Amino acid sequence: MTAKTADGKEVYNTERHYHTQATDCRTNKMLYGAQVKTQYIRDTALQPFETKDESFEIFLPAGVRTVDVTVSLRYEINKPANFIEIAKVTRKVSLD
Amino acid sequence: MKFLKPFFVVLLVMIPISAFAEKAKTIEELAAMYDSSRCKECHAEIYARWENSHHARSLMGVQDGLMMTPLAMKGRTPFSPDDPGKATLDTFPCFKCHLPQALVSADDAFAVDYANALLAQDKTRVSKLRITCIVCHNTKAIIHKLSEGQPEADVLYGSKDVASHDDEFFKKIKKGSIMDHAIMCGQCHGLGPNLEFENPVQCATLYGSYEHNYISKGGMQSCQECHMQKVDGFADHLIAPNWNDLDGTKKILQDTISMDVQTVGMDWLLKSKDLKPLVVVNTKINQNAGHRIPDG
Repeated sequence: MTAKTADGKEVYNTERHYHTQATDCRTNKMLYGAQVKTQYIRDTALQPFETKDESFEIFLPAGVRTVDVTVSLRYEINKPANFIEIAKVTRKVSLD
Repeated sequence: MKFLKPFFVVLLVMIPISAFAEKAKTIEELAAMYDSSRCKECHAEIYARWENSHHARSLMGVQDGLMMTPLAMKGRTPFSPDDPGKATLDTFPCFKCHLPQALVSADDAFAVDYANALLAQDKTRVSKLRITCIVCHNTKAIIHKLSEGQPEADVLYGSKDVASHDDEFFKKIKKGSIMDHAIMCGQCHGLGPNLEFENPVQCATLYGSYEHNYISKGGMQSCQECHMQKVDGFADHLIAPNWNDLDGTKKILQDTISMDVQTVGMDWLLKSKDLKPLVVVNTKINQNAGHRIPDG
């Protein structure tokens, strides 16, 4: 999710990641790859019959009263640059 | 001998699994033993859908990544041999699901051939190994082996009995007990860590998610009801998603996952005379699948 001023300056940028996270239980390093993973230690994936709620608070810099907020929901395939964009919402939000 | 070569090739393709006393020692031998290409003569629609499925390229990974390559590379995984010539079937725990026929119809020489093909990144050869019609409709069709016995060599298992099946080797169809049950898929789209190996591995956990986080919340559909809905009158053997079809997969994801976004701008009075300009963005993401997303 990003928030940008009218002239395109980014004033906020954050991400949430929804997926299982596993280690080999021998260290605390997260691993990808079935042949080395042993156990999930955390699961932030989207679950059936559950809503994933988030609330983001964006404190604007001095002088900024309006931003374009863009929320992009993506399914990453193997690496961040390779993704399917499921939904993209852009809103102009003003304090005035 | 030169004129005999075509004869050997044809013979290999036409011989059924049961006729092989010897175990497959090469990629081509195992591929031929489980070749299902003749199925399309009568089941063209189903075969065409299957050919685009991940089952038809079960060793190629998502978007053709040859995901088992690290297993053949020295030092890359606990299973990796020092030399590809020392590979055995145990080198590749992924065969359990990605190539189950290897465990019943191939020997360690096959594993050596496969390891070398991986190191050479020989996608042409590796792609010959597939979860074919025979694998699901015979090899993996029976799980109650103490009650029902092993899959019969000349029988395919489906959703109904067919007394006579017009095929040279699989002469009849029997109704399989689990063919329309989620556990048919759950055999491979797994529960969690596979602890039977010398080192545990953890791949797909879809069925565990289905059992413990979908059924437990009142979900009642099977995998097949969503992923094998009828297309032109036939159960869809594409078993989507197909990650090589980004547009088709995008549509599935959009049908499955929804996002609501609410925004508000305000001057937040955090303390007296100290207004802070604030934008609040609330998001709600829902999904209607019978399992966690992502999983496999």
